[in-house]
Amino acid sequence: MLTLSNIHRSFPGVRALAGVTFEVRAGEIHALVGENGAGKSTLTKIAAGVHQPEAGHIAFDGAPVVWTSPGHAKARGLHVIYQEFVLFPHLSVAENIFIGHERHTRLGTIDRGRTRAEARDVLTRLGVDLDPRSLVRDLSVADQQMVEIAKALVHNVRVLFLDEPTAVISGHEVELLFERLRALRAQGVAIVYISHRLEEIFALCDRVTVLKDGQHVLTAPVAEISRERIVSAMVGRDLAELFPPRPASLRADRPVVLEARNVTLPGRVHDASLTLRAGTITGLAGMIGSGRTELAMAIFGGLKMSAGTLTIDGRTIAHPTPAALIALGVGLVSEDRKGQGLAMLLDVAANISAPALARFSRAGLLDRARERAAAEAEIAAFRIACRGAATSVAVMSGGNQQKVLLARWARICRRVLILDEPTRGVDVGAKVEIYRIMRALAAEGVAVLMISSELPEIVGLSDHVVVMREGHVAGTLEGAAITEEAVIALATSHAPGGVERAA
Amino acid sequence: MTTGRLPTGLIAVTSLLLLLLALGAALSHSFIQPGNLLNVLEQATDLAIVGLGQTVVVLTGGIDLSVGSLISLLAVLTSGLIDSDASMVLPVVAGVIVLGALLGAINGLTVVWLRVHPLIVTLGSGAVLQGITLLYAKGPVGGVPDGFDFLAYGRVLGLPVAGVAVLLVFVIAALLLRLTPFGRYVYAVGDDPVAASLMGLPRRRVLVVAYAVSGACSALAAIYLVARFGSGQPYTGANYTLASITPVVVGGTVLAGGRGGVMGTLLGAYLVAVLNNLLNFLDVSSQMQLVVQGLIIILAVSVVIDKRRVVA
Repeated sequence: MLTLSNIHRSFPGVRALAGVTFEVRAGEIHALVGENGAGKSTLTKIAAGVHQPEAGHIAFDGAPVVWTSPGHAKARGLHVIYQEFVLFPHLSVAENIFIGHERHTRLGTIDRGRTRAEARDVLTRLGVDLDPRSLVRDLSVADQQMVEIAKALVHNVRVLFLDEPTAVISGHEVELLFERLRALRAQGVAIVYISHRLEEIFALCDRVTVLKDGQHVLTAPVAEISRERIVSAMVGRDLAELFPPRPASLRADRPVVLEARNVTLPGRVHDASLTLRAGTITGLAGMIGSGRTELAMAIFGGLKMSAGTLTIDGRTIAHPTPAALIALGVGLVSEDRKGQGLAMLLDVAANISAPALARFSRAGLLDRARERAAAEAEIAAFRIACRGAATSVAVMSGGNQQKVLLARWARICRRVLILDEPTRGVDVGAKVEIYRIMRALAAEGVAVLMISSELPEIVGLSDHVVVMREGHVAGTLEGAAITEEAVIALATSHAPGGVERAA
Repeated sequence: MTTGRLPTGLIAVTSLLLLLLALGAALSHSFIQPGNLLNVLEQATDLAIVGLGQTVVVLTGGIDLSVGSLISLLAVLTSGLIDSDASMVLPVVAGVIVLGALLGAINGLTVVWLRVHPLIVTLGSGAVLQGITLLYAKGPVGGVPDGFDFLAYGRVLGLPVAGVAVLLVFVIAALLLRLTPFGRYVYAVGDDPVAASLMGLPRRRVLVVAYAVSGACSALAAIYLVARFGSGQPYTGANYTLASITPVVVGGTVLAGGRGGVMGTLLGAYLVAVLNNLLNFLDVSSQMQLVVQGLIIILAVSVVIDKRRVVA
């Protein structure tokens, strides 16, 4: 149905795809797996006409094609459900479902009644109880995902890509989604299913292709491959080698550095409490939209909490602001490196010194030589791959950009370091480095809070895990109780959030 | 505008307008007379029409800073080419509207092809148009035949022609935005341009048409101003560039795009006209009117905007 042959594609600083060949047949569900940064998203975007390949060919329905735009691929029946939603937040559910395929009256105007009725119909088939008139902005992330899926069902789709469709939905919704996908497969639709949840691949898919670092590793029928084989193909090494060893001593011995009590942000976080201890890595898990980032932002003073107290080293902070917290030794590395953390056009030295310019100034003037010398020291300590302190961060890989941010905050924030998705978009090698840095900082006595959507790193790295669900703290896990299954259970269960404790 | 609920912006601007009318009625008996209110309807014409085009552009996430210069150019062309010859009125008026739309479309094409931010594109094209205007005319040029001022001051059955025409144009524009796929795409492109292109929506066409509509609206405003003053001058439109943004934002259209609507802009234009009219009644100097107007804009927008934002 769709064949991508020998596709090459680079972006500044990254070789995203190096000669990948991938094929999906009519009437099959083909799993596409790999670590973040393996090239799944780039391959999807090339298949959909968003990016052009630098080399390689695309064949659709047996004939070679060159997509001129995403609209061109869509018109031929290629539909993609991206991980980042392609939704218009200020249009209604029904309007989003039919955008680009409006239902007309005989006058050629939009038939609002029919749009609503057909939207309600497709939502019912998906088992979602949503008012087609509500604005997408007002929906939960899970409901937004279901609207994305509904969009695919109303079109005459021949090839369907789904990028992590179950990252934010749970139980019953997943079952209904699988049911719809199997029905589409029976109709001869070619489906590419991207997921890192291996159990879903075994439950749903016919074949699996593994990508790693922009290269094709293997393609095999799901019935003929083991879970272990897929994992080692994805990671390229044994899982145990990824994470540094945990220290032997008990968490409870360590002094409390930061304590947040009953934090509430209307509509996003409800009555959430969190304790961070010196020398401990605390994992903050939960689905996207569960309030993890908002809770961390509230603690850091970036979002104003409507209720709750914050204590740092025994002192109550009445009105937390980012400036006050930085002064107390608390740092936050946001999820969006480019938007909120790094000045992309400045060099490494300027990015590292940015929050502490006073230390590199004499009589109000910047001492560039001292700034540079300090940066060179950090480059060595954090093993940042770049051509010296004057390298512009824009040309560096995601992993090295992340290390620049870690270097910046690690030096001035000696008490607490909050990291939101620290390994997003980073290759495996850089991940291992970042894990090592986090463990080393903890060993120096820093309390580390890591927000992550990747279960393996939550489980592999954290000494203590807090799981959020729908704005509440659903439970906390420690020691041997930290397993992928336990985290998923807390993150998705619909039972009222009780606190689980285990030694 | 796209759901069954009334947007908060529209409610806010309506409340402010009613509040101002009530205040006026309390302060001055003659202010609230029907005759005066019809005058206000008429006086809102220029701002409303320019604001209509600006609204469509802002809904797509852009801005048109060339409207003032474009009005000046089209105003001097209107009176210069008609030159008091009644037989030239129809061809010139039609030609000026087409020219306005074309020059607007060039703004849109520049935004699309050079991928330069609309603020820069229209700032630059505004300067170019002002320069051309001054090359053509250093002062008032030409004139219009008797009766041309009907477009500005005409009354039919006691109702102001300009005011009623504006109302009709806005109702039609609101319906087009609401009921056609193209109108839907205007909102979609402004809401999320990346999503719009991933969905295969005609993003470029939407932008070109939006700026063309703004150009055509500038042409209508130019013709109205020539009718009102009897001739076009090289700085006729100078104040309209920034003034045109006032009714848009006061009417609840968000500068980031994707949210708002033209009916809010019409009410915003009425709000400005009522305010100026009331200040006249109260003998406030024109300098002081500007001060009050500026403060009202900030106040109005702070009431109208949606404050749910993430601070980071």
